[in-house]
This record gives sequence, C-alpha cells and structure tokens, in this order.
Amino acid sequence: MAADPQAEHRHPESAAPGDPVLVCTDLHHSYLDRFVALDGVDLTVRSGERLALLGANGSGKSTLLKVLNGLVFPSSGTFTAFGESITQDTLEDEQMNTSFRSRVGFVFQNSDAQVFSPTVRDELAFGPLQLGLSRAEAADRVADILRLLEIPDLADRAPFQLSGGQKKRVAIGTVLVMNPDVLLFDEPTAGLDPRTGEWLTGLIQELAASGKTIVLATHDLDSLDRLADRCLVFSEEHRIVADGPPLDILGQRQLLLDVNLTHARTRLAAAAPVIGNP
Amino acid sequence: MTVTDRTADHCAAPPATAADPSSTRIAGAPGVTEPTSPATPAWLLSREVALCPCGCIGKRRKGSFVQKTLNGGADLLRQVMFSDDTSSQPGLLQRLDARVKLVVLLGLVIVGALLRSIPGQLVLYAAALVLAVCSALPLGFFVKRVWLFVPIFTGIVLIPATLSVVIPGDVVVTLWHWDGQPEGLTRQGLTSAALVVSRVATSISLVVLLTLTTPWTKLLGSLRSLGVPRMFVLVVGMAYRYLFLLLGSVTDMYQARRSRSVGAENHDKASRRFVAATAGALLGKSMVLSEEVHQAMVSRGYRGDVRVLDQPRVRWIDVRFAILMAVFGAALLITEQWVGR
Repeated sequence: MAADPQAEHRHPESAAPGDPVLVCTDLHHSYLDRFVALDGVDLTVRSGERLALLGANGSGKSTLLKVLNGLVFPSSGTFTAFGESITQDTLEDEQMNTSFRSRVGFVFQNSDAQVFSPTVRDELAFGPLQLGLSRAEAADRVADILRLLEIPDLADRAPFQLSGGQKKRVAIGTVLVMNPDVLLFDEPTAGLDPRTGEWLTGLIQELAASGKTIVLATHDLDSLDRLADRCLVFSEEHRIVADGPPLDILGQRQLLLDVNLTHARTRLAAAAPVIGNP
Repeated sequence: MTVTDRTADHCAAPPATAADPSSTRIAGAPGVTEPTSPATPAWLLSREVALCPCGCIGKRRKGSFVQKTLNGGADLLRQVMFSDDTSSQPGLLQRLDARVKLVVLLGLVIVGALLRSIPGQLVLYAAALVLAVCSALPLGFFVKRVWLFVPIFTGIVLIPATLSVVIPGDVVVTLWHWDGQPEGLTRQGLTSAALVVSRVATSISLVVLLTLTTPWTKLLGSLRSLGVPRMFVLVVGMAYRYLFLLLGSVTDMYQARRSRSVGAENHDKASRRFVAATAGALLGKSMVLSEEVHQAMVSRGYRGDVRVLDQPRVRWIDVRFAILMAVFGAALLITEQWVGR
C-alpha cells in the first residue's frame, strides 16, 4: 500500500481499489405503488470505478441514484454500502448517517434544488458543518473549493443571481467540499454550454483518476468513453439489459435502438470507430 | 365574417417565399411539405395565411393583467437588485454589524413611539436623514420612498379624526355649519394627525434605512440576535430564495400566454381561469421542488438541526455607534419631557 499515492488521502475505512462499495440485489421500487421505477435491478459498484447508467427518460436511472444515496428506499430488495445495510432504519442512527453521508455525495440534475442557501458561501459550508466539521475547517474547505471551481467572485452572491452553468459549479462544489469517496451525478452535462460541459467532463476524469468512485446517469453518449469505463443500460421496462465497457455498448446499435437511447438517424461520434459511422 | 373572408377582403396574404430546398414538396401543392409522420396534419406543414398585414393603425389598448404581472415581477427584481447595490456601497451603516444595526434602529423606532410632540418626531426624522446621507443613500429616493405611501395609507385613515363631528375641538377650518355651529377641521384633530403621520414616516424611514444598508442574508441572520428560532430564520431564508425561482416560473407562464395572445386581453372568465391554472401549476411545481430540496439537504447530512458558517463579531465602531444612538435617543426623550413641563 505504501506505493499507492492515494492511500494517505483515503478515508480510514475506505475500500481498496476494486472492492465492492455499493451493492444492490433485486431492487424493486414503485412510486405511489403504481408507477414502476425499478424492476429487479442487481448492481455492484466497485471502488475506483467509473460507472455510467444509460437509459431513456423515465427508465429508472435517477431513482437508482437516489436509492444509492439513501434518499429513496426500495419496496423490496437490499442495498448495502461499504458492507453495511442501508435502510430507513439504519440511517436513523446518527453515526451511521454521518458516516454514509460523508462518503457518498450526490449531484442532483436540478441545481436549483441543491442550491438552497442564501449565498454561495453558506451553500458550500452547509454539508461540512452538518457533518460536524469546525467552522474554521469548513471555511478553509469552502475557500479551497471556490478556488478549485474558479468561482471565488461568486462567494457572496445569492443563487438567483447565478447562471445555469454557475449553479451547476456550485452544486458540484457543495458535494466536493465534503470529499466523499463515491460521487453520484444525475445527468451532469445536461443543459450545459459546451465549455462548461467540457470543464465538467475533465473534472470527473480528474476525480476518478484520484481514486474516487463515480456513478453517473447520462444521455451524453458522445462523451461516454471519457466519463465511464463501464456502462449499465436500462430498458424502458426499468430493468438492466446490458453491462459492459462504453465502446462495446455503443457498438451494439440494435440494443441502443431497442432501449431508446439512439435513433436510426442519430450519429454517434464516440461510436464512429466501432460501428462504422462516417 | 370568418377569418378567411376577412383576410381575403382586407388583408392581402404575403407572397410565398422561396421554399427550403432540403424539404420534400407535395406535387401540385405549392408551400406544402410532405408529412414525415402519419400523425402530422397537413395544415401544420403549410404556410399559415396571416390574419392581418403588419403595420400600425393607431388603435391601442394598455394595462392588461398579463402585462401588469410581468411588470410587477420585473419591478420586484429591480428593487431587490437596487437594495443589494446600496447595501454593498461604502457608508456608515453598511460598515456596522447587522445585529447592532437592527437593535439600534429598532430602539430608535421605540423612541419614536414614545415621543409625544411633533418637534421631537422631526428631530428624529432629521437624524434618519443624516444617517441616510452618511450611508451614501440617494436622499431624493429615500425621502420619496417614505412619503409616497405614508400620506396615502395613514393620511386617509386619519381624515375622520380631524373633523369636529367625530372628535369635538376648536374648529380652525370651517367646512359647513350645523345648527348654527361651525363644523370642520379642528386644531386638536390636525395636531394629532400630524403627530401620527410624522411618527409613521419616521418609523418607516428607520426601517428603510435598515433594509437599504443591510444585505438580506445578514439581516435575516441578525434576527437570531433577537431570539428568533434558527429554524424559523432558515425557513424564511429558503422561502426568499425560492421566491425568485417561482417568480421566474410565473413570468415564463405569463410570457407564454402573451406570445400566444391575439388582440387585447380582458379581465374575463377565461383570464380568471388562466390565473387559477397558473396558481395550481405553481403549487404543484413548488411541492415537487420542496421534496427535492429536502432530499438535497438530507443528502448532505441534514438531520433537523442547521449549523451556519457566519459568526459575526461586534467591533469597536459598532459599540461606539450603539452608545451614540442610545445617548441621542435618551436625550431626545428627556428633552421632550423637560420642554413639556
């Protein structure tokens, strides 16, 4: 382990690279007991992995991410994180809650939901203070994150004064400031201009290179090979129908057509070498 | 007369422009593109005949409720931006700790409530003006903001109290005679009305001073110093934050209606139904949003108790200001008592 440059930065109880960190078994979930969102989903996320969840709108990707963050609890099936069962009951335990929340961070698709404090500085400090960091330590981390995201001039701005891209940066900052082992992103590049989207793709690559585990739901097939090294494909029946490396998945054109991830007229830049698109 | 007739009679349709070379044309039907989906109706792919040619005929109608709502939303944002600007510029009150400022200005409002003479109120009002000047606030705007509304809301309420038929007194302005006795405005009534108006104006001036020189977030935080529960402050802060998001949704909905409206918009049944539908849609949106916001808070460790970063400290300038204002308030009250004897 002494040779691992990331070892000294890792959480004391962090899993070694390749160890299962999030495990779901036969997950079923329905909203209002009527609208099925997950129908028998099995999933294992390993430490240091970059996993992309692919699927059409309403296929269950966002629900699965919320299950992985302990925000939605499945109707049946089990979910364990870092070897511990995650249920509504276990998250009532203060120590368990703090441990889980500090190790799994979630960037929502709707940044407006995530940026709720009066100012950007308060927003960034919310998580660390909730998890028990001192004010001085939280303030230091906030300053570091403001510099990292290149938004120190936004520190005292109110959320309604921010553009969509700036809100997304702040939303990502609110999670990074807690330094979680596992980062969940719901449609991270959706609705962003090309420059911000490219910046975010680079950031996700950098975080993954530092040993973070990344799970993201995306429609962005063009950047898929840069965002993930494994993909799970959801069918419109809310089941996982394929699991493999991005280029393998992108090469299965019929699969992508069947799950409504692409259209007969769609041209995929990332898949061009594989499926022979011009 | 149908729209088609009217168009044919009075409004010449614009000539068809050159077709898009990439689109598929239907043989024998100029301007009509072949449907790409069987569900696409043919009329959607043909050019619509304009209802009327562009150009003004001089007939105008103004003041639709849609336009007023849009203007109201824009005005609110403009006011908030203006308050943000004034609270960040260099000035006396802007340099002070928000908690000290809140307590001091609230104390001066109480002094104003205890003063029983018009000269006393005028001295306090003059002090408010001096503070406004020292805080680099535009004096004309500051005075107008107070005096535009005080006479309307307070003056109208006080008019009956100035009449001799309501409260007897020495009539100074005779309006009519009743049973040989002059009736009209009384000296006592006018004095009382002037006292109340000056008291209201002074109090509002002090509150406007506070809001124009303090960022909303710090003002909200300073409520904690008055013992307001943290949870209450958090909820108010979030309500204020999402007000702008929902205001944006309302503006979008009204703009969408406006873009599809032809002719003048009336205050009729359809308009009321639209307002009700807007309110319903907004309620639905805010409920979905509140659920997501709660999840976002829980995701970052929220368990019912909130900790905040800001721990403002009271400095020497705050203490000096508080002492100065306390001495001023006390001197004003004592002087009034002394002169009154």
